[in-house]
Amino acid sequence: MLKTVILLVLIFYILALAQASFLVHFQIFGMVLNVSLLLVVLINIFENPQKYLGLWSSLISGFFLDIFSTRPFGFWILIFFLAAIFVKLIFRKHVRIPFIART
Amino acid sequence: MLFAVLAAVVIVALNFFQNKVRNFFYLVSAPIQASLWQAGDRVSNFFATITEFRNLKKENEDLKLKVQLLLTENASLRELKKENETLRTALNIGLEKEFKLTLVQVIGKDISQDSLIINRGSKHGIAKNMPVITEQKNLVGRISEVYDDFSKVMLISSKDSSFDARISEQEIFGVVKGRGGLKAFIDRVPQDKELKVGDILVTSVLGGVFPAGLLVGEIKEVKKSDLEPFQQAEISPFFDIGKLGNLFVITPS
Repeated sequence: MLKTVILLVLIFYILALAQASFLVHFQIFGMVLNVSLLLVVLINIFENPQKYLGLWSSLISGFFLDIFSTRPFGFWILIFFLAAIFVKLIFRKHVRIPFIART
Repeated sequence: MLFAVLAAVVIVALNFFQNKVRNFFYLVSAPIQASLWQAGDRVSNFFATITEFRNLKKENEDLKLKVQLLLTENASLRELKKENETLRTALNIGLEKEFKLTLVQVIGKDISQDSLIINRGSKHGIAKNMPVITEQKNLVGRISEVYDDFSKVMLISSKDSSFDARISEQEIFGVVKGRGGLKAFIDRVPQDKELKVGDILVTSVLGGVFPAGLLVGEIKEVKKSDLEPFQQAEISPFFDIGKLGNLFVITPS
């Protein structure tokens, strides 16, 4: 678990850096693709709904995005955390993916 | 629940130290950020260039069209300038006081036929046999055919051209005839009259074709033979076929 968290920290740090310095150059209709959010949602979709790695991911990625953003600290953490909870709740109660264990 | 409260406390606390926290991360990340920024800039420039190609093509076409329009405008202004200069020259030598003139432009030349096409016709008061001169009062020819909007000018060098002329300031008369190929000669000059190379020929009122005093050309070569009743001389017409642009047609006043 610790290894995974460290790995996620590294990944989300790099993604936040890329988001702030690289991806901002590629705007589509004035918007920039949020790869951190995408990864958080994907983790929460494919993770076992009973586990909490997806929630940790949302906190870590939100933290790094907050670091490199000009908004008040906690803005992205809150958004990502709420998104993760929303996905987790949906998948825990209404969706069942065959190859993902539920216990 | 406890986790949520803890997270909220941490987040609020971070807001108090956000400057220091952010500063630390910026310091650590600065080299990577700079590289990523440059890379992003280059890649986006590359894609921007590709998307710009279409615009460039269109812009290029628009500019070409603009250049064409400007060139046309420029050419038209040059024509006006030339016309202006011609009129000024004509005014300076007082041509308008002597004759009623119509300014015309040469729009075609047929050197093999010693003829010109001008841009004025019967609609503009041009009629057959009207004299055509340059702004320096040099005789060019006369109108041989008239259309509604155009006319044909028969040059004095045309084989069909023939009119009376005299040597300037002398009482020597003769008939100037065209030889073709932009050449002309004076004929019917009595043997007892002395023609010299360089003598200037002007039109005479005798034939009734041209008004008197128009400059025809100068004598280039005298051909005198005792066997002939008259002497002849080759003439070099004063007009330069290559420079004929704006001309005047002398219309009856």
